[in-house]
This record gives sequence, structure tokens and C-alpha cells, in this order.
Amino acid sequence: MNLQNKKIRIAVQKGGRLKAPSLEFLKSIGLEFESKETGLTSQCLNADVEILYVRNCDIPQYVKYGVADYGIVGENVLIERKSNLKIEKRLGFGKCRLVIAVPERSNIKRIKDLREERIATSYPNTLKGFLRRNGINASMIEINGSVELCPSLNLSDAVCDITQTGRTLEENNLKIITEIMDSEAVLISNPSLNNGKILF
Amino acid sequence: MKKIEPTILKGTRDFGPLDMAKRNLVMDKIRRVFERFGYDPIETPIICPADTILGKYGEEGDRLTYNFEDAGGRRIALPFDLTVPFARFFAANFRDLPLPFKRYQIQRVWRAEKPQKGRLREFYQCDIDVIGTKNLIAEAEISKVIVEVFKELEINFTIKVNSRRLMNAVLKDFGVEEEKIIEVIRIIDKILKIGEQAVIEELKLLQITNPEEILRLLSQDKALDETLEKFSKYDTSEIKEFLENCRNLGVEEYVEFDPSLARGLDYYTGIIYEVVSKDCEFGTICAGGRYDNLCGLFCDEDFSGVGVAFGFERIMLLLEQLKKFEDIKLNSKVLVTLFDEESKEDALKIYSTLVEAGINSEIYFEADKLGKQMKYADKKRIPFVLIRGSEEKEKDEVVVKSMATGKQKSIPLKQLITYLSGYYESTK
Repeated sequence: MNLQNKKIRIAVQKGGRLKAPSLEFLKSIGLEFESKETGLTSQCLNADVEILYVRNCDIPQYVKYGVADYGIVGENVLIERKSNLKIEKRLGFGKCRLVIAVPERSNIKRIKDLREERIATSYPNTLKGFLRRNGINASMIEINGSVELCPSLNLSDAVCDITQTGRTLEENNLKIITEIMDSEAVLISNPSLNNGKILF
Repeated sequence: MKKIEPTILKGTRDFGPLDMAKRNLVMDKIRRVFERFGYDPIETPIICPADTILGKYGEEGDRLTYNFEDAGGRRIALPFDLTVPFARFFAANFRDLPLPFKRYQIQRVWRAEKPQKGRLREFYQCDIDVIGTKNLIAEAEISKVIVEVFKELEINFTIKVNSRRLMNAVLKDFGVEEEKIIEVIRIIDKILKIGEQAVIEELKLLQITNPEEILRLLSQDKALDETLEKFSKYDTSEIKEFLENCRNLGVEEYVEFDPSLARGLDYYTGIIYEVVSKDCEFGTICAGGRYDNLCGLFCDEDFSGVGVAFGFERIMLLLEQLKKFEDIKLNSKVLVTLFDEESKEDALKIYSTLVEAGINSEIYFEADKLGKQMKYADKKRIPFVLIRGSEEKEKDEVVVKSMATGKQKSIPLKQLITYLSGYYESTK
């Protein structure tokens, strides 16, 4: 049997807040490897395991395509990508919340006040789900980063973004009106591939 | 001057914008599924030489076929269905066509029937056929197309299937003479309509010796295996291979082997289908099967084909009954109001930007009172109305009024396109 086929690949964040705790977790389960600041892969010294460093939002795709057997990713990213992947384990780090926040003095106080308003977000799919569940029609302004800036520039009336401590929101004079989901880092796998079935 | 009555013929209909919005929505969904499976469209003429249509459907069919003499003294007929025009088209063109040939056809057909609910003189059929292969992959593919169409339309359904070959073998085995077989099948076909007892009576009249036993054998058992077991002395390889193909295409749960399924048309030779809605008693919403020699009417070559027709008008009635059109929209998304004569230039520019950005929009043609313009938007189900008075103009903003909630929102004019294209309708 080809050794390549036996190798287990785990995709983790290339950079960002989940990288260090993800590697720590892998070490805690007994894997020995050199943590790299640069480079795209690490080989484990004591097991046939390879660690892939990839962009956060690509991790679900790597697992979905079967090129990685496992991935460590924020649950919020998993839900945004609508990946039908299995959560093997909740990892207890990288905790954050996806919330809707508005300027301190906004007239928007409750969820239903969001009707017809502009909501800036990097999580359009999750936001869509939230709007659908609440029967709200609103305009989604897709922005890839620094979403908190949008209301002060009159680009949006509200934001839908992740927050850990709430500090960035506060610094931008935004207050939370509702929480969409709690998130933490999760270990994911592809159930359809593990069963030996080919999905696509 | 005496005015002409603006009337239409009985059994035909006018379709207003709202009807057409619904019909196009459904037709587009059906068409997209057909195209997903590699079917390409064809269209055939409405007026045809009568001899290419008449004499193909039996006496009853001929009686229901519209035919007349044109000014040049030619006998003309209007298509009764899409299968015969397709067979004619294929016979005339098969040398230039890729074989096997897959096509879909969505067209009007005409039947001179007594009009009643769900039965019109002019209506649409949506057909798919595969011709030029006998492989049962084609049959299974048709099942998959049916599944995808009704999933797309959110209709719960069952595809009843049977093998005409198996039914013929059974009837022959029971001593039914060759020339009586189609008559017997026509009678069995009526079982749901007239009931088992009446079928038995009719079969007795035809001097069939043991109709009860035939019906018992042809009845469906709870489990597929039990049903198949009953036919173990007959050749069931066709139905088995077909079901196996369906399993591999992931549609087995929708397909139900019903050995009593007959289909009255006599040109079927193999697998036959009939799709019924599980949501309510509605009769057949799609039907068809394998035919071996339809083109033989038009050419010497032998081509086997398989296909189904979706009953578009019945599907529309069913969807209407299931209230699937509650939120149907017409085309315009935005009405640019005309505030006054002075704002005309401004309004036209905004209008132009919107349509160039691909947002379905229209401008109101008169500087009428806003209330009147709103009423127009309401009547056309336009979700957004744009208002730009002098105040908004000064701030370079525009007011977007949502007709659903009545909420008015000022946004910078430069963000108008972003606002509208990012707008998410949770109720859609």
C-alpha cells in the first residue's frame, strides 16, 4: 500500500488567533513536530501526520475536498461556509460570538428594527440565515474586514461581526443588540469520505 | 361603429402578467432541470400536414385533433401531443443528429375536447425523450429527471413504474390472446377510476377466464421483494435492472414498482411511468414510457425511445392549490418616481444607472401626485419606490421606500445599487 494513502493530514490556520492554540492542541495529544513561522507544512516526527497551514476560510474546503483528513477551524467559519462536515470535537479555545451591533445612538434597538437597514458583514451566509429565521428583509453590505468601521462612514446602519471581548466594538462606539451564535474552535472531518464513499 | 366582442374561444385562456410570472417561474425551473441532464430544446411547427398528425392516436385521438383545410386546399392539423411531431422530426433529421438523441420540447398542443376544469383545448406539454438506445440507463435517467423536477417544484410525489413487457408476459400466460392484450390493459388502466369489481366485470365481458387471479397477481405488495417474488416465474430482469440503475442514481426511494400500472396508450413496449402527487388527489402529473417503433410511421429505420410528458397545466393547478405562488413578484423591483418637471433629468439619470446595473426598474411617466405613483407601484407589486425631493438632492441622497413595510430610508445616492443588490428578502 502506498504510504501516501496512510498519511493523515490536518489543516490548521496559517496565521491568526487560532494558530498557536491549534498547534498546542495537536502537541497535547502527543504529536511531535516543529512549529514553523513560515512554510506551508510540518511533518510530525513520531507519526505519519502532516500539518497543513492554510487560510482560515479555506480549511473547510480542504477537508471537504478530502485533501485534509481533519481541520481545526472556528465554528463560525464552518457555518458560514455551509460545509456539511462533522464536528469531531469542540476544542474550548478561540471562543467568540457572532453579534449584531449598532451605533450607540442608533434608533435600531431590537431585531425587528433592522428591517430595510444596511448591515455590513463578512459573514453573509450566516447573516442570511439569521434574517430568514427572523423574517427580516435588509440589505447586506459585504465587507471583508474592518467591518466595525462601516457605520461611522455611513456605509451601513449595523454590523454583523465576531467579537471576543467586545473591545473593538466599544472602541467604534457600537453596542450589541443581539447575538447570532457562540463559536469556538472545532476539530472537523469529512463524514462522507471517512465512510469510504465518494461524494462528488 | 359596432364594436367587436373582445372574446376568446372556449377552452383557451389569456394569461395576464401575474399568470405569466407564475407560469414562467415553473417553466424555467422545469427547463433548467432538463438542461442539467443534457437535454437540448427543439420546436416543431404548429400547423402541420394533416397526415403527419392524424391516424396516430386511434379513432378517439383523431376525433379530438383540430384539422381544417387552408386557403390553398391543403389539409392542416394542429399537434395533439408532442410525441408524434417529435417522431416526425426525428425521422426527417436523424442522419444529422447525434445518436442517441435527447431533446426537450415545451410547446402548446390542441385537443378538441369538451372544456372542463383541468381540461382545455389549448395547453402546454413539457416533454423529454431519449431515442436511439435500448439501454435501461435511459429509463433510470428519466426517473432522475422526474425526481429533480418535482423536488425543484417542492411537490411530494411517487413515480409508479411497471414493465409493459412483464404485463404482456403475464397476460399471455393467463391465456389472453395477443389481439386482446391491449384491450385488457386499457381496462386494467381504469382500476383506480372505476374500482376493482367493475374491472373484473369488464374483463369477463371480454371473455377473460380468470380476471380475479390476474388482478391478484398484478396487485402490489408492501415490500418490493415480495412483489418481485410473485413474478419469479416470469422474466423480471428488465424491472430489476431498471430499479438497480435507479438505486445507483439515488432515486430508489421515489420509485414504486406497481405491477397493476397499465397506461392506456398502445405504443408502449417496456418500462412505463406514472407520477402522482402525494400532497393531494390530483391524478397523474407526469407520465410516459418506452416505445419501440414510433418512428416507424415515418421512416424505415427502427428506433427505440423512452420519454415522459409533464402535464404543465395540472402541475400549475396543483402548485396553486398548494399555495406556492403567494409571494410571486412581477418584473419591476424599483419604481423611480417623478417628483416634478424639474427633477426629470435627475430621475432619468437614476433610472438609467439602475437598468444599466441590471436592476429591473421603471420610471413613472408623469409628475403625478406621489400617492398615485405609489398606487401604481402597489398594483405592479414593485417592492421599492425611489423618492428624491430637493432636500435629498441637496444631501446627495435618495429615499428608498419599501412597499412591504412602508419604511422609508435615506441612503447616499452612490450606495443605491449596493443597497438594492445586497437586499435580502427573507420571505422569498
